[in-house]
Amino acid sequence: MNPRTRHALEFVLDNLVWFMLLFVLVVFSIFIPNYFQLGIFANIIEASSVLGVMSIGLALVIIAGHMDLSVESVAALSAMAVGILFCSSGIGLGVQLHPEWLMVPVSLLLALAVGGLIGAFNGYLVVRVKMSAFIITLASYIWVRGLVLVISGGRSAQDLAPAIRWFGIQRLIGLPLTAWITIACFVVFSLIMAKTPFGRHLVMIGGNETATFRAGIRVNRNLIIAFVLAGAIAGLAGWLLAIRTSGATANLGVGLLFNAFAAVVIGGVSLKGGVGTLPGVYAGVLLLSAINTAINLMGLPANFTQVIHGLLVLAAVLLDAFKQTIRQRLA
Amino acid sequence: MSEPLLVLDNVTKNYGAIEALKGISFSIGRGEVVALLGDNGAGKSTLVKIIAGGLEPTSGRMLFEGKEFLARSPAEAKAAGIETVYQDLSLCTNVDVVANFFMGREITRKVLGIPVLDERAMEVVVEKALASAGTRIPSLRTNVEHLSGGQRQAIELNRFVHWGGKLVLLDEPFAALGVEQTRRGLDMIRQVASQGIGVVIITHIMQQAFQVADRIVVIRQGVVAGDVARNKTSPDAVINMITGETLAGAGPGS
Repeated sequence: MNPRTRHALEFVLDNLVWFMLLFVLVVFSIFIPNYFQLGIFANIIEASSVLGVMSIGLALVIIAGHMDLSVESVAALSAMAVGILFCSSGIGLGVQLHPEWLMVPVSLLLALAVGGLIGAFNGYLVVRVKMSAFIITLASYIWVRGLVLVISGGRSAQDLAPAIRWFGIQRLIGLPLTAWITIACFVVFSLIMAKTPFGRHLVMIGGNETATFRAGIRVNRNLIIAFVLAGAIAGLAGWLLAIRTSGATANLGVGLLFNAFAAVVIGGVSLKGGVGTLPGVYAGVLLLSAINTAINLMGLPANFTQVIHGLLVLAAVLLDAFKQTIRQRLA
Repeated sequence: MSEPLLVLDNVTKNYGAIEALKGISFSIGRGEVVALLGDNGAGKSTLVKIIAGGLEPTSGRMLFEGKEFLARSPAEAKAAGIETVYQDLSLCTNVDVVANFFMGREITRKVLGIPVLDERAMEVVVEKALASAGTRIPSLRTNVEHLSGGQRQAIELNRFVHWGGKLVLLDEPFAALGVEQTRRGLDMIRQVASQGIGVVIITHIMQQAFQVADRIVVIRQGVVAGDVARNKTSPDAVINMITGETLAGAGPGS
């Protein structure tokens, strides 16, 4: 095999999800009436902004060889905290700050801090106390959601302060600012993972933790940072969720965790750790969103979505195994 | 002779009630190659881990360059100038050759104050290091998982030759190498030692020890059973030291 075909083949393998996304979009555009519109594509991006942000945090921890099941509940708690403070009806306290724009950084910092704290708690138990990330974050998944129920009393907060909601309404080149925030997050974290020592170390820790420890990399510190980041990013997802729904309900975001997992796996991240890139994850998120939109447009019952997502995850795992065999031939 | 590079003074290590090391004392000079021999379970790997910062000794002390020394982590040992090549390879197979070569010591340049990996600079260094050692690897950007066992070990060996430091610990470094690569590996060790770096090599193969070492230290049941210059001993004498003079004590439990 000459180097050029080899390079081309490797490029396709590395970016397989993007090709799948393109393929799916083309097929839908041809066969589903009204699918091929800018508005539809904008909607695909817009609808996936919360899921996208959440998937970044999840992917970071999984690439580092661990697991964070708590992201969904953390997002809900952050959204509820923002909702209670800055909503004016329901259980909202309607806190007003002057000038009004001050509510944006304050609410954002609150959401990030709530998420970061829970992430630090998870990280501490997993890394220092050496407990299984699966169990620790499963526990967090449960108790954090419980906390949402406790502080809201099962009720909801509505009418988020307009200054914060502005991010969901104001559009730039056809997309609301919330979608741009998601895209910016993907760009920033993709660069961090691919271009900085921190990102490189996370990937290597996911690949062989012993080797990185022996090489003098501060494994524990890096892993705790990864958990804090996953929590804070989940907090950001919660902030976006509060904006999107203009408030917060006690069951906000239920089921997002599994979609995030699906997106991460479809995006080419291996649950064994050490493998996967964030651009791939974004393609996975968009792929899910594109399929949801197609199901809506075809007027299929929404219940089909779950079946299709499940099959897609299966397909992604099979494809991953297939990719491995091809790569082995290439080397 | 000038002061030794590393002195071990009655170093012990207990795992619960089990005494893995009962008091090890010996020293390594600059530019000296010491072969550490001993039967399985004699405590060689434990000793290497203690020097390399992977384990803390239960008691005893170490002097490195004449100063009290105790590495609490591999990072501390590395900072002091101690490089280690472990028996089970310490490579991350999910990243490429360059990333492995620079694991934890990446070359970066600042972009807006943020350290960014300088891939090109690293690739140049790796290319040069591998070429000068005569190691051929098709692409430095291939993930290590696609390389053969020999190629992987070559990367590890080239890595320590490149980083050097002051003391190099090699725990059975040639387990996966062919005849020609082993010969080259032994040459590398001599070359490293000639730069004034101390080398400790653990091996099971008597022939390798006699080929490369200046001095042979034998560990048996957690104590130093022999410490002799290579040219004053013979393989048979060393085997006797390893097994405990008579064959009666040479069983697996000893």
